[in-house]
Amino acid sequence: MFHWLEKHPFFFAVGVFVTIAFAGLVEVLPNFAEQSRPAIGTKPYSTLELAGRHVYIKNDCNACHSQLIRPFKAETDRYGHYSISGEYAYDRPFLWGSKRTGPDLHRIGNVRTTDWHENHMWDPAGVVPGSVMPAYKWLFKNSADIDTAYAEMVTVNKVFNVPYNKPIPMKDGSTQIVKMAADVTAANAEALADAKVIAASMKNQDVKDAVAAGKIPEIVALIAYLNSLK
Amino acid sequence: MENRPLEYDYTVAKWFMVATILLGLVGMLIGVILAWELAFPAVNTALGQGVAEFTNFSRLRPLHTDAVAYGFTVSGIMATWYYVGQRVLKVSMAESPFLMFIGKLQFILYVIVVAAVVVSLLLGITSSKEYAEFEWPIDIGVVVVWVLWGISIFGLIGIRREKALYISIWYYIAAFLAVAMLYLFNNMEVPTYFVAGVGSIWHSVSMYAGTNDALVQWWFGHNAVAFVFTTPIVAMIYYFLPKESGQAVYSYKLSLLSFWGLMFVYLWAGGHHLLFSTVPDWMQTMGSVFSVVLILPSWGSAINMLLTMKGEWQQVASNPLIKFMVLASTFYMFSTLEGPIQAIKSVNALAHFTDWIIGHVHDGVLGWVAFMIFAALFHMAPRVFKREIYSKSLMNTQFWIQTLGVVLYFTSMWIAGITQGMMWRAHDEFGNLAYSFIDTVTVLHPYYTIRAVGGSLYLLGVFLFAYNMFKTMSGASKEVDESEMQNASPMGA
Amino acid sequence: MNKLMLWGVIFVAAMLGATYMAVGGSKGGMGQDIINQLAVAGAAALVVIAVFVVVKYVRQMQNDTASGELAEENWDGIGEYKNELPTGWAVIFLGLIVWAMWYFIAGYPVNAYSQIGEYNKEVKSHDAKFAAQYANMDHDTLVAMGESVFIVQCAQCHGLAADGIDGKAADLNKRIQEISVKHVVENGSNNLGFAAPMPDRNGLFNMNTNALITDAEIATVASYVSNGMKGDGADIFAGTCAACHGADGKGMPMVAPSIAEFNPELVATVLKHGKKGAIGQMPSFDILNEQQIKAVGAYVTSLSK
Ligand code: HEC
Ligand code: HEC
Ligand code: HEC
Ligand code: HEM
Ligand code: HEM
Ligand SMILES: [Ca+2]
Ligand SMILES: [Ca+2]
Ligand SMILES: [Cu+2]
Repeated sequence: MFHWLEKHPFFFAVGVFVTIAFAGLVEVLPNFAEQSRPAIGTKPYSTLELAGRHVYIKNDCNACHSQLIRPFKAETDRYGHYSISGEYAYDRPFLWGSKRTGPDLHRIGNVRTTDWHENHMWDPAGVVPGSVMPAYKWLFKNSADIDTAYAEMVTVNKVFNVPYNKPIPMKDGSTQIVKMAADVTAANAEALADAKVIAASMKNQDVKDAVAAGKIPEIVALIAYLNSLK
Repeated sequence: MENRPLEYDYTVAKWFMVATILLGLVGMLIGVILAWELAFPAVNTALGQGVAEFTNFSRLRPLHTDAVAYGFTVSGIMATWYYVGQRVLKVSMAESPFLMFIGKLQFILYVIVVAAVVVSLLLGITSSKEYAEFEWPIDIGVVVVWVLWGISIFGLIGIRREKALYISIWYYIAAFLAVAMLYLFNNMEVPTYFVAGVGSIWHSVSMYAGTNDALVQWWFGHNAVAFVFTTPIVAMIYYFLPKESGQAVYSYKLSLLSFWGLMFVYLWAGGHHLLFSTVPDWMQTMGSVFSVVLILPSWGSAINMLLTMKGEWQQVASNPLIKFMVLASTFYMFSTLEGPIQAIKSVNALAHFTDWIIGHVHDGVLGWVAFMIFAALFHMAPRVFKREIYSKSLMNTQFWIQTLGVVLYFTSMWIAGITQGMMWRAHDEFGNLAYSFIDTVTVLHPYYTIRAVGGSLYLLGVFLFAYNMFKTMSGASKEVDESEMQNASPMGA
Repeated sequence: MNKLMLWGVIFVAAMLGATYMAVGGSKGGMGQDIINQLAVAGAAALVVIAVFVVVKYVRQMQNDTASGELAEENWDGIGEYKNELPTGWAVIFLGLIVWAMWYFIAGYPVNAYSQIGEYNKEVKSHDAKFAAQYANMDHDTLVAMGESVFIVQCAQCHGLAADGIDGKAADLNKRIQEISVKHVVENGSNNLGFAAPMPDRNGLFNMNTNALITDAEIATVASYVSNGMKGDGADIFAGTCAACHGADGKGMPMVAPSIAEFNPELVATVLKHGKKGAIGQMPSFDILNEQQIKAVGAYVTSLSK
């Protein structure tokens, strides 16, 4: 039979395709049927946080940092509660990573603060001697792309029903609303308001000046994102 | 026509050979830079703080993986396809102006896509998914290039003179189909500009979220390894080793079972990238168990090749080309045993996220993929350029330097990974974590340095390779007639 | 033993030896962690199997000869033998497929394993192992344990020497820095969950002068407090601050924290509430267990003594 296939390339190709596609279906489909529901307390990202997430992706932080805490004592001691599927419901793309040259960041918002990130991103080895993490000084100059963050917000809201402007249940029984601005100008204004809060805890004068002048440096957006990881 | 020997047309093969060499140099040069950056972070800013945005580890890393996988390796695959395809199907590209056109078009578009990838990754335009970083406009380019390759494969097959397909063709077909399917599904994304009307036109958002996205990504990622770093390379060794050595393939049955076994088992194993993650337990178990089964179809091909060389030790000893291929199949065995061991849940609990995985990757890609591509190009060169290989002694030097490089690379990463994995897990006498994270970083410094040295040696070998090949191409060596070259490739001193 | 075999043995021994040298002495060690043992066993199996299988085939290249019946077909001069499958390979392949089915369906069926269940067991046994030790720990051991917590969880901000890394976080080798005192007195403070916040300068009344605290007084008292309640300013302190912080500055339960020295309760309060001040911001910490909080409190307290 196989030798027959080898003489009939069309059927050979079909045979190969069926063989590989079958396993793919079994592997991928069942989880989709299950759908990933958001965990209680998991909110969609705000505009500034999304812009920060884009900075994270743009600089490929996921090359060195995971965002997946595995259920081992040693990991929960170091990073906090193990990760739950529903916490990733708004992560497009997922950012689990596959290599920990640096520590996991899935709950970094619990253990680090704005001023620490500011110092660390400027000069990691100055804060943590021996760090092999590059210094990300240009983030303090480049402006974050709020327009694209807003575009993503609108897209996931329209196409995937991500619940902006709707009450989200929190762990303590309360609800919170993550706002999606009506248009891109309003989105920029809201992001700037969030940025001002962060810049107030920062020391870098260029950053403070930029925010005062209505600009949002990438570092501010990135810190907003890192602080949201809890 | 049937009576005189075929005049094969290697134009497209030639172009892709040049691309293979250049992209290999670029990709591995970046790899070496990455290795030094991890050993000595000051290298991140070696060219000055001003350009650090483009020269730091994290911006360069995807450029390395994509340049070697989709640049160097895929060019190598195409170069060998446009060579091997004609010969084992017994048709010449010259017979079909249409296929000739398709081949040339494929190459031109490929170069454009590569250029777009380099620019976009340097600018940080990426979707972050490993081995699928490209944003949607490039995805479209990739699909077009791939479809053109499909037309070339099935077009050549359509006009073939050889009734039955040779083993290599099976593997090329599998690579084509699987990558097409995987790439399409993993790149389902919605360009945000077209929905919202603002922002960057390049940006897109994945159709899948969170755990589902991870599942599709690693179903893709694992099999991208399978169908870029494995099946097409197996296609190469099945042609070039028997051809160069003049030996018949050891066993048809073994070829057959290895092929269909590989097709069947490979796809099930992707779950081993997601062990202890938030995907369901049963899926993880499936990935783990099938990874262990996967040893056999993988080893089947390697054993088949090693047994093809039965009794031919003098060839191994005297012909550097055969040395490359024999070592390639042993590294193939090594990494396809290492992978399954790392896929066992208890082992993965330690190995995942560590440098041991990086070691596994590179004993596969350096020892198997790249060695096989070097061998293939060495074998093709005299037949394509009608000149003997410029220097045999350079080939030998390259072989030993690179072998040493690979050994330094994977042994250092093996120790680094196990050390790091154990330190992360360790608790002290009080039940606290025994090491802070930075302890587990600084301890790796010597291993990172050894890896960087090993990588630099390997790169030196690539330079020797490039020099040898360009000398051959540019006509610095003796002319030879293809009809004289039934088997062993002619090489100058 | 021929030369090849010898090389194989040397290579295996070198790999395993180097690995042992690198990780054999690791804290927490191989002996106690089943994952470590299995991983190292896997790593060892890998080199041993790979090397000796390769040696086997290389010997065939050296000593055997190719044989078998050639198939009729031939591609570009490449022939094919009709040899049978290597028996070992075929048997293991078949066996593994059966094993995989068995494993998946009967051996470790899907519903019999949950990684979270496994985790809960791991945590339970870890806690049980240390419960007795935690119950009666003497002071020195507690400080030593605290240091080990500090290095992993706190040193990233406070530095290994707990000196605050050039002012990036609090220097814990003394109770408090001058700028912090100034900042708090000028701006007030409300981090730590006391019943009433510390007022700002508009609420700080110096009983000695019967007036609000002045700039000069702030400077003096700041230096007094940050010098460990020494030097000029005792009168200002007594008149303005002692009402809440106590005459000795050691604080009063529910009213105000100690600003004269660290004590474990204060550290626990900081860990619970975090801290935002002149230097920067410290997050609250909820990943430490009770014993670790006690221990790190004892350690921090010991630093400034
Ligand atoms: C070359 C690898 C590398 C890259 C790339 C990298 N990091 Fe790191 N990162 C590290 C290492 C190593 C550490 C641990 C030492 C330290 O704290 O500096 C670390 C630590 C951190 C920490 C502190 C985590 C903790 O628990 O202390 C944060 C936050 C962080 N990195 C964020 C980032 C962000 C954001 C990016 C991308 C813009 C990034 N890193 C890129 C290697 C890297
Ligand atoms: C009305 C009561 C009250 C008075 C009067 C008062 N404090 Fe306080 N003080 C507090 C409370 C409550 C806190 C804790 C604030 C918090 O939760 O952050 C505090 C905190 C502080 C701190 C911060 C300690 C730390 O850990 O960072 C300093 C320094 C301090 N006081 C100094 C003074 C000095 C100096 C004076 C007098 C000039 C003074 N306080 C007067 C109630 C008082
Ligand atoms: C993300 C950084 C960060 C981490 C992690 C951190 N701290 Fe701090 N800590 C700070 C900063 C910043 C301050 C100074 C706040 C201020 O007063 O401006 C501080 C202050 C303190 C103080 C003095 C508070 C006071 O009342 O004056 C104590 C005590 C302390 N930290 C203990 C710890 C311990 C124990 C840990 C670890 C379990 C820890 N810190 C981890 C940043 C950090
Ligand atoms: C039997 C065959 C193989 C199996 C079962 C296997 C298994 C594995 C496992 C378990 C991992 C680690 C996943 C993790 O914990 O992060 C891995 C990673 C990897 N393997 Fe293999 N492997 C095999 C063969 C190969 C070969 C031949 C190559 C290449 C030549 C290869 C390339 C890679 C790469 C590139 C990664 C890294 C993926 C990432 O980015 O995380 N593998 N493999
Ligand atoms: C000179 C030779 C090379 C050197 C020095 C080198 C170095 C590196 C370094 C330093 C990394 C990053 C590891 C990390 O994040 O810790 C890396 C990743 C990688 N390299 Fe190479 N590399 C070389 C050649 C190659 C070749 C030829 C290929 C493929 C054909 C390749 C494929 C990869 C892949 C797939 C990864 C990602 C691994 C993962 O994410 O798990 N490399 N390389
Ligand atoms: Ca990876
Ligand atoms: Ca894409
Ligand atoms: Cu895989």
